[in-house]
Amino acid sequence: MHRRPGKNIASSFDVIKYLLTLGGLAWLIGRGSEQLGYSWHWHRIPGYILTVSHGHWQAGPLLEGLMVTLEVSAASLVLAALIGLVTALLRLSGSLVGRVLAVIYLETIRNTPLLVQIFFLYFVMAPILDLSRFTAAVLALAFFEGAYASEIFRAGIVSVARGQWEAAYSLGLSNYATYRHIILPQAVRLVLPPLTSQAISLVKDSALVSTIAVYDLTMQGRAIVAETFLVFEVWFTLAAIYLLLAFMLSLLVRLVERLLAGRGQPAWSVQ
Amino acid sequence: MSGEGQGDIIIARGLNKSFPGPVQALADFSVTVRRGEVLVIVGPSGSGKSTFLRCLNGLEEVDSGTIVVDGIPLDENERHRLEIRREVGMVFQSFNLFPHLSVLENISLAQRLVRGKSRARAREFSMELLARVGLRDKAGSYPAELSGGQQQRVAIARALAMMPRVMLFDEATSALDPEMIGEVLDVMRQLADDGMTMVVVTHEMGFAREVSDRILFMEQGRVIEEGTPEQFFNSPVRERTRAFLRQIL
Repeated sequence: MHRRPGKNIASSFDVIKYLLTLGGLAWLIGRGSEQLGYSWHWHRIPGYILTVSHGHWQAGPLLEGLMVTLEVSAASLVLAALIGLVTALLRLSGSLVGRVLAVIYLETIRNTPLLVQIFFLYFVMAPILDLSRFTAAVLALAFFEGAYASEIFRAGIVSVARGQWEAAYSLGLSNYATYRHIILPQAVRLVLPPLTSQAISLVKDSALVSTIAVYDLTMQGRAIVAETFLVFEVWFTLAAIYLLLAFMLSLLVRLVERLLAGRGQPAWSVQ
Repeated sequence: MSGEGQGDIIIARGLNKSFPGPVQALADFSVTVRRGEVLVIVGPSGSGKSTFLRCLNGLEEVDSGTIVVDGIPLDENERHRLEIRREVGMVFQSFNLFPHLSVLENISLAQRLVRGKSRARAREFSMELLARVGLRDKAGSYPAELSGGQQQRVAIARALAMMPRVMLFDEATSALDPEMIGEVLDVMRQLADDGMTMVVVTHEMGFAREVSDRILFMEQGRVIEEGTPEQFFNSPVRERTRAFLRQIL
């Protein structure tokens, strides 16, 4: 590997530009809030995250909300992956009924707003099926993200080379065994990066469940704002927490990718 | 060395198959293969050789005609198709090893899933097969770490792991660098010596001449000429065959 001599200078110049932009932004916000006569109370924020009482750590509302956000996200992530995979397999199946069902599901989900889907599940389906708030939230998110995940899975499956199917079939493997042992292990590795960004989308979209009063991070934030008028501080903090969450998620997946990437690369389709 | 009257293992009658396009891949194509026989199919590209092999184990479906392998008819019945695939091993031009599995896993997988062998027994037989193709030390490697010739030898071992009654070779050496063709042909020759029934589509005329019991020359989905290697190379009857041989020899 050869390093270009100008590279270090160029990248340190980039850092300076970046810091200048950040500084400018901070100055703008500071000046704006001064003109509004906003009085900052940053010292009150840590108390909403973590408090110490009687020598014990106690989670503040924001941390509790974060836990709920993580629960909702994790549950709907698992469900979305499952729905996505099943839908992808249905779309690729020989069954006409399966394909039509999959397409109807995909088109419905992708052409209606997530907010409407959440309301529909919570206000219409939940009373009929006796679902809890939490369940309605998880289902709405799972069905929404599952539609996108299924397209990702489908792309992964069709991009595995045809020869892999033929080799598996010629050994007498059944359709199921071929998918399970040959095609899906390769397809999943191919689609791990786009699947990650879908997972990050899911975490961010989960903020919408606050609209049906699930006490997630966003809902807790709204509650604190309503009580204390710490508008700027709370929303800054919330944004930072979501940012951190997304960052950690992509870090995690990069780690998994590196573990998988060592040996045995998938067979890419040449088409 | 060759089959002595133990009957026919492959019976194909009146096969027709066309793809979109002008040329018919198989046109009223019939052939019978005896147990233990090595049949080599030659012909210009697009003559239907590979299509015939792929029809034999149900990777392609014929438009009409009947195929019976080892007494099992290849028909609408999905179970028959699976049974035939278990009895028929196939080696592809592009190897088609499973890249996410080690060499040992490539060879063991179908033994465990299809034949229901235990991990230990599958492993034992796989190592035996690897020794036969001269790659015992590569059991833990992944396909991407092997040369083309080594990959193809693993692919042969993988097909043999099912203990097939027939082996199909679809231009098994065409994708190989010249210096690696020999090692694969050696394995194939060994198999023929062991009495395996083989249908081999190849451009390797040396192999056809030395190893085959019968050569079949195909063009546009039809059998043009058929005979022993001596007849085929030394005294071909049809003018088309002579023209083909002049081109390639």
